[in-house]
Amino acid sequence: MPSLEDELRSALKRREPSPDFADRVLARVAAAPARRGSQPWMRWVAGMAAALLLAAGGLEYRQYEGERAKDQVLLAVKIAGSKLNKAQKKVQMISHRSDS
Amino acid sequence: MPRRAPAPASGFDFASLVRQHQAMVFSIAWHLLHDRAVAEELAQDVFLSLHQHLAEMESPEHVMFWLRRVTSNRALDVARRRQRRPMVSLENAPEPVAAASVDDPLLGTALRKLVAALPEKARAIVVLRYQEDLDPAEIARVLGIPVGTVKSQLQRALALLREKLSRVERRASGLSLGEV
Amino acid sequence: MKAAGLLTALLLLLAGAVPAQQVKWNYEKLAARASNTVDVSLSGSLLQFATKFLSDSDKDEAKVKKLVGGLKGIYVKSFEFKTPGEYSAADVESFRTPLRSPDWERIVGVHSSEDGETVDVYLRNEAKGGIGGLAIIATEPKEVTLVNIVGSIDLESLSDLGGHFGIPEGLEVEKKK
Repeated sequence: MPSLEDELRSALKRREPSPDFADRVLARVAAAPARRGSQPWMRWVAGMAAALLLAAGGLEYRQYEGERAKDQVLLAVKIAGSKLNKAQKKVQMISHRSDS
Repeated sequence: MPRRAPAPASGFDFASLVRQHQAMVFSIAWHLLHDRAVAEELAQDVFLSLHQHLAEMESPEHVMFWLRRVTSNRALDVARRRQRRPMVSLENAPEPVAAASVDDPLLGTALRKLVAALPEKARAIVVLRYQEDLDPAEIARVLGIPVGTVKSQLQRALALLREKLSRVERRASGLSLGEV
Repeated sequence: MKAAGLLTALLLLLAGAVPAQQVKWNYEKLAARASNTVDVSLSGSLLQFATKFLSDSDKDEAKVKKLVGGLKGIYVKSFEFKTPGEYSAADVESFRTPLRSPDWERIVGVHSSEDGETVDVYLRNEAKGGIGGLAIIATEPKEVTLVNIVGSIDLESLSDLGGHFGIPEGLEVEKKK
């Protein structure tokens, strides 16, 4: 019997937009430059805003990448540490047995 | 025949990115807004923004992260502004009017409606979890919220969905229930 | 003779320029049979980038930050199998072979027939003295784990971690001179 989570995955499967979706996007992108304002100061302000957004977006992704890499470091240390722990416990067990 | 889009200053082929990710972007918007026309419009806007920011994309993974983040946040903004349903707590989220039978393939439809009736943040978390298969840490990064919030909201949403769905199924099988 | 010396120096320079695992393990066969794989590959630059995100205020993360700060790479491969017997003793022996070179010294080798578990721990000797790396091969009936940590490992830091993340308290690893 499928679980609720399986049912959710099935119900929330990705679906395609209209068949001409991509064409409409490309058409809008192609048309977009003609609609931009021509005032030089507006372009300067838009450029500064875009530069700030660019920097913020880049920083956000760096944060995301860094957190993922940090998780990997912690996982690796956890695995390596647990194997060393196991080795030590076994050595201790063996030496206790030979002492008794 | 649509005009060719100007080539952005990056190594990415924009048209390919649109075709590759259109289902993902549209589906996030659709599952959050439950309105096909609005979802398509929003998805188009997201890709337009992607074209403007394409030069700062560092990798295919960055593109996916950016698309999920922007789509989710914009769809949540639209959902809050539209206020198609008044803000309800998770416990009071409404059930679909027509009960689906237990064996009915429309069970999926019932489930989608239940998800669509969740409060916006919980809805986004459920969609990112089960449509995009993201883990709580990734959902937290996409939505910019603490991972603890993601986990607790997800748990509560699943409990509520389970409860609501079992009521739908009981109704479909002919058992009568009083209002709870 | 001079040309050979120059060539060797160039090769060493090139080798040093490429951050890499110290142990060349061939685990494709195991990977193909595993039901679950954990794969962590952090070369020097990515490792240094990651350590910036380790918190100084979290006790455990601060200790890990101190431990990995000077390392040049961390490589962990762990393979889980559905049933025992999916890998052979020969498979595991093939992982031990590259560690029999003079550069490596086995400091711990525990093989338990009781529970079918083995752990072998190796340290890499640097030419100018000191430790240049750590390798671990750990097996259980349904799991094989390979670890290679590249760089000068501060053994005091390692033992200082104590019970955190399973590092044993007071583990003293003595290097034979």
